Amino acid sequence: MAIVTDKVGIVSCSGEDLPEGTISRIATRIVMEKLRPDDTVTICLPLFLAGSEDERAFAKVFPTIAVDGCDKKCAEVGTNKYSGKPVATVVVSEIMKKYPHLKVKSRDKLSAEEKELALKVAEEIATKVDEVLGRKK
Amino acid sequence: MSEEEKVAIVACAGMDKPLGSVARACAFKVVEDLKPEDSVLVCIPPLVAGVKPHSEWIKKYPIITIDGCPERCATKIVAKNGGKIRGRVFIPQSVQKYGLKPKASEEIGPEGEELAEKIAEDTALLVDKILRK
Repeated sequence: MAIVTDKVGIVSCSGEDLPEGTISRIATRIVMEKLRPDDTVTICLPLFLAGSEDERAFAKVFPTIAVDGCDKKCAEVGTNKYSGKPVATVVVSEIMKKYPHLKVKSRDKLSAEEKELALKVAEEIATKVDEVLGRKK
Repeated sequence: MSEEEKVAIVACAGMDKPLGSVARACAFKVVEDLKPEDSVLVCIPPLVAGVKPHSEWIKKYPIITIDGCPERCATKIVAKNGGKIRGRVFIPQSVQKYGLKPKASEEIGPEGEELAEKIAEDTALLVDKILRK
């Protein structure tokens, strides 16, 4: 199947297990709504995993970026299993190592520090989107 | 409370719609605030990926699913993975019941928080009912 490259699907860990999952989720929304609204669509991970043919078909035709909270990489594993290998994976726990002053604690409501980290992660996702689309921003 | 007597909460947590975020907020309120001793939160992505303890919890405990939209992904995924569903919460129905509307997916706002609180209380009652308290 041909891969179409005018949009990138973002498959984010919707993680409830760790605060990093919440960061993944918020960072993905920042990319979709503020940083690259015209270039990205979200793929709802629960819907995708539940067997939605529309979500899975999209992920087969368009390139995808998995955004995972931790090294279990559930979004990457799920995408790989049902549609195809993501062109890139962003792992929040890896990005956090670059910003040791930013601590994450909450799985629910984000603090100012956690919001700052979410923005940093969103910027990394946006850079990956540009790479996938062959654009310089 | 013995380890055997808990209820597993599985919420859709979908990013597409504000009601997915309400489902998620509701699940946190149940397992962290209202029923911390009586419930565990099963995260869907590791459940499907076969990661423990999530994949074990749904076989071990009775389950309440919380779905944010008519796709009912939480319910479908639990059924597909062999879990025993003992209670189901359908957020759109609760929206009608309480007349509260969340603002957006990323920030559900005060009405969304109030809605999540009310649904969490309903869910906590379901936990008690399942555990015969």
